[in-house]
Amino acid sequence: MSGKMRILTSLVAIAIVAVALGVWIIRGPGPLDFAGGTKVALADYRAGKPTGVPAKLEKASLVERGEYLAKAADCMVCHTKPGEKDYSGGLAFKLPFGTLYSTNITPDKDTGIGSYSDQDFLNAVQHGKRRDGARLYPAMPYTSYTFMTDEDVLAVKAYLFSLPAVRAKAPDNTLSFPFNQRWAMMFWSAVFNPDTRFAPDTSKSPEWNRGAYLAEALAHCGECHTPRNLGFALDNRKKFAGAITAGWRAFNISSDKATGLGNWSDQDLIAYLSLGHAPGHGSASGPMGEAVDHSFSQFAPEDISSIVAYLRSVPPQPSPDLPATTAPVAPASHKEGVTADARGKKVFASACASCHGWSGESPVSPMATLTGTWAVNDPAATNVAQIVISGTKRHTPDGALSMPAFGSAYTDDEIAAVANYVTARFGAKGSKLTAKDVAELREQTAE
Amino acid sequence: MATVLTINGETKSFDAPPDMPLLWVLRDILGMTGTKFGCGIAQCGACTVHVDGKAVRSCVLPVSAVENRTVTTIEHVGSTPAGAKVQKAWLEAEVIQCGYCQSGQIMAAAALLAATPNPDDSDIDAAMAGNICRCGTYVRIREAIKQAANGRQS
Repeated sequence: MSGKMRILTSLVAIAIVAVALGVWIIRGPGPLDFAGGTKVALADYRAGKPTGVPAKLEKASLVERGEYLAKAADCMVCHTKPGEKDYSGGLAFKLPFGTLYSTNITPDKDTGIGSYSDQDFLNAVQHGKRRDGARLYPAMPYTSYTFMTDEDVLAVKAYLFSLPAVRAKAPDNTLSFPFNQRWAMMFWSAVFNPDTRFAPDTSKSPEWNRGAYLAEALAHCGECHTPRNLGFALDNRKKFAGAITAGWRAFNISSDKATGLGNWSDQDLIAYLSLGHAPGHGSASGPMGEAVDHSFSQFAPEDISSIVAYLRSVPPQPSPDLPATTAPVAPASHKEGVTADARGKKVFASACASCHGWSGESPVSPMATLTGTWAVNDPAATNVAQIVISGTKRHTPDGALSMPAFGSAYTDDEIAAVANYVTARFGAKGSKLTAKDVAELREQTAE
Repeated sequence: MATVLTINGETKSFDAPPDMPLLWVLRDILGMTGTKFGCGIAQCGACTVHVDGKAVRSCVLPVSAVENRTVTTIEHVGSTPAGAKVQKAWLEAEVIQCGYCQSGQIMAAAALLAATPNPDDSDIDAAMAGNICRCGTYVRIREAIKQAANGRQS
């Protein structure tokens, strides 16, 4: 080997090692690596049954079991455009590099998944591969669903195939180069899809294992609540530390005392997940409101408890931008308390005060109380501005409760002003939103 | 299952879905049409009633949320001290033009006076800003609220 060749070979070797190291560093730990115990194959786990449906559905038909699991995996919210038929796709995800549309997963042969075999369906859900071989974008959380058992994935398929076929073709994606090159997702998938089924941890309780399966494989909590790395994959070094998704802030759900769930009682967590509201902590809105309405509210009580047990075990990750404690109730009179931002106050008086009150404790419903919520205590005011723009509609056992969308009634400037007023009056630290920030939030909302 | 509410001091029992807005119950089931439908999204104030003495928009309030609470409507507000003063002042100041928004205006003003017996202009703004009047009776509304507070014509 000549000297030149030797140098070249060494350079190539160094480059390969550097790339491999870079990939290893960026990829970081898997979603369940924090637990640290001994993992065993599901078939060898005897202490409990972490996968499948809860006991009351054990004897139910395949379709019924699939329905429970499809709801637990919350397929519907992303695969349904508001106002259109369930699971018929077409919801737009606005990304910085273009728009992605969710697909029709009803059993229509031409526009849906009607011609998918069991293996085709497993390939899509666990491996991110479409029937025609094309790669799925990770907006479809197959890196979470990959932990589902084949049996559970196929039960979901049986449920979907029991639904009426809807003929609906989603619009074409409008991604820019290089993101429109689907084949390149092969490399992304090779690095970031763990491509492995759930393996129980023998050092943990059966309840924890059930919770881990539900939270990681099905409910895919991390897809919104875990920050993303350079490769737009989940950065599990900051597992559940919170992130911005689709223009809404998914708050910290690690066990951090001040800014995570460390100070929430079990009862608070159970209420929040199953009803979308916990006294003193506010109400789920936006994407989490949808997750509660369509998914968590349908969970068996023991499954909710398992998720709570699992969430408790996730190591604390502080959110340094949030205050250590949320602000107390504001004074009942509009004249007292923080009253700066005259423009925001005017908007608040005409559009907000009748339901939320001047103290932040709603005269209408505890669900509309602002006091104690992270939304008003977030100095970035993301969710305050977002809910003003988009409104919310929630379904609870006691009936529906809604807030109108003000996005087309007020300008960006007015929405910024009222968000700044609301965070200053009801939160720990007022926000400094500008009209430009509000315009950017509008751009990110899925529709 | 029958829903039971205390409205204007009387116990009313009726069948309604839990998410039916209180306004629908009042107007369509109980026949109390004094409370008006305006926008349906809590943005005009025409449907204002009192729940536990506070002014709320009945068009977005599910009936399930007011069980075990006290509801007062325009039909009965004249029997509360603040409501009586407001209605008297409203007549004296000839506030009303077309009248559609006025039951809401009177309910909002009565709740304001019950909580703040001597409101200044900023109190009136804060309490009344969410009640819209297309006839533009705002000047007379402000005048009548002050009159009701003072108990005399200014």
